[in-house]
Amino acid sequence: MEAYGYIADPATATALYLSREMRRPLLIEGDAGVGKTEIAKVLARLLDTELIRLQCYEGLDVSTALYEWNYQRQMLRLRLAEGEGKSGAEIEDLIFSRDYLLERPLLRAITRPTKAPVLLIDEIDRADDGFEAFLLEVLSDFQVTIPEIGTIRAEHVPHVVLTSNRTREIGDALRRRCLYLYLDHPSFEKEVRILHLRVPEAGARLSAEVGRFVQALRGRRLQKTPGVAETLDWAQALVRLGSDHLDREAVEETLGCLLKDHNDLHDLSGAALDETLAVATVATSGDAGSEAIEAIGGAA
Amino acid sequence: MNAAPRSAENGRAGAGPGDGLDWAGHLAQFGRALRERGVRVALSDEADGLEALIWIDLSDRDEVRRALAVAFKIRPHDRAAFDELFERLWAPPSAPKQVSQALGQVTRQRSGGVRPAAEAIEVDAASPSGEELGYSPDAVLRKKPFDECAPEDLAAMENLIARLALRLATRKSRRLVPTRGRGAVDLRRSFRRALAHGGEFLALARRARPLEQPRLLVLADTSGSMDPHVRFLLQFVVALGRVAPKAEIFAFNTSLVRITPLLRPKTLAPGLIEATLARLAAEVPDWSGGTRIGECLREFVDRHLATRVDHRTVVLIFSDGLDRGDVAPIAEAMRALSDRAKSILWLNPLAGDARYEPSARAMAAALPYVDRLLPAHNLESLERLVPHLSL
Repeated sequence: MEAYGYIADPATATALYLSREMRRPLLIEGDAGVGKTEIAKVLARLLDTELIRLQCYEGLDVSTALYEWNYQRQMLRLRLAEGEGKSGAEIEDLIFSRDYLLERPLLRAITRPTKAPVLLIDEIDRADDGFEAFLLEVLSDFQVTIPEIGTIRAEHVPHVVLTSNRTREIGDALRRRCLYLYLDHPSFEKEVRILHLRVPEAGARLSAEVGRFVQALRGRRLQKTPGVAETLDWAQALVRLGSDHLDREAVEETLGCLLKDHNDLHDLSGAALDETLAVATVATSGDAGSEAIEAIGGAA
Repeated sequence: MNAAPRSAENGRAGAGPGDGLDWAGHLAQFGRALRERGVRVALSDEADGLEALIWIDLSDRDEVRRALAVAFKIRPHDRAAFDELFERLWAPPSAPKQVSQALGQVTRQRSGGVRPAAEAIEVDAASPSGEELGYSPDAVLRKKPFDECAPEDLAAMENLIARLALRLATRKSRRLVPTRGRGAVDLRRSFRRALAHGGEFLALARRARPLEQPRLLVLADTSGSMDPHVRFLLQFVVALGRVAPKAEIFAFNTSLVRITPLLRPKTLAPGLIEATLARLAAEVPDWSGGTRIGECLREFVDRHLATRVDHRTVVLIFSDGLDRGDVAPIAEAMRALSDRAKSILWLNPLAGDARYEPSARAMAAALPYVDRLLPAHNLESLERLVPHLSL
């Protein structure tokens, strides 16, 4: 997976592997920014297939998730057919056919003709439970019934990845249907490897210091704990500013990339910032961090 | 993938399921040990575990552990217990005797994963009485502590409570349902209707948000120290029941009793709550022998959690948290509750005092799982509760 820009730990690799072999959806839970969505994207690249994404939100309903009729086209066809003097039944058959169906993500995922796509159902915890029950049905049979057309069965059962930020508990029934992976924030070593892979312009020293700084931050009580995405943004910002190591000025200028809550930014000024900075920039050589970097640099 | 998973052929060779060893039995024992530790593992999870074993290298113990965690759907707070039990109990079934002996030794232990939630505490003390501008008998009554209420206040209080409860009936769901008259145009249904009229849109079908009733679960401590307060809270909850019929009420003290059927709002006569409480005291043995919050909560979790609580349920616990028992079961039961419920509100009559600190042992153990700790010493504090109920 590394070739595709993702550093997977063994737990993630095992979960993905089992999900694929057992043909079961994979439910990934974890804090925002730990890379849940990224897993689905990488999986699609890895399998060289299409990624179909359904972003959940409160109030998401079937016409947004599954299908909707193309009313404008139906209207036009209706007027035309009337002109042609067709009967009511003929017209109905005509306008309620697949040509006038708008496929939303769930339907699209089961009608791909050539290859099973990756279906990402993102932030399922935001949808309401009615939708969860509906989803359970789709994920059990991979078939969809449209009253006007009939039942559409999946040609290729998609690889399904569900993500949840745990803003609420997912129902037992849906959870049991899936395999489960909990993603934690990455360890220091893993995060530095991710930095190395995704922001190669950041040198070994900057990567290690950024990694240590972020790790130290996650140990603090924050409103919004920074995820990997924030770490990468921050490293990129520092590179743009031409920093090759962390110093107070550069950190103060760019901290907004990392901390996206006013209170957190406020808490991490003055002494707290100095303290974290000191942890991040301890020894620049000989400690575990830079050894890890060197090891990775050597391997790459 | 960098930790290259074994191919199917690899996994099936070697000592996999199908090699004649009793993997299913072994998994079942492991599953049972997890359940005894309070990790929710269902039969279907064990089946998933067995299937997962087909695909992996069974000689790689770490991979077996990772695969079982995925198949058993082990959540972060159960991870420590899972790892520990796996370490202790998992052995290939070639040595069935040792395993079953080891499993026999599993004793109930509690895992200590407690999520930090100190910021969840919200103690709103009643605002200073100097705020009142005009005089109104209601306003005075609203701030009067329950334990200072004279018998003649009670009727007025009950009236006020009923009015207050009506306000709850206003929560709207975000999902749209068909409606007449108002709401957003529902194209799909409009179109089908138009078809019936030869393609003319005579009337548009519309959708709007339905009213959604909150689900309430009340666990009321009816021990002696709570006496002056519990009557009012139950009055309040029963009044809520008129607008939110899905309220479930349990009373606890030395044991747990479901009193929902006794307090049907439709049959609520004056004095019914007092009569019910008196009946409990008379009929349940040792009813006033001192509070056992932990045991009662655990009993609730074991017997009622799955059927009475879902993620729409707001749990109201009404207790002063004074308990001499063991606090470990409290934390455990609260964790199970908070996993399932939408939110947990703890109403503590003592919290009405601005100097109150939630330091009673039982209260402190429960606190990490409580979304809001609120005072409940007078009507005004109950009134403030309303917005939290329809979160």
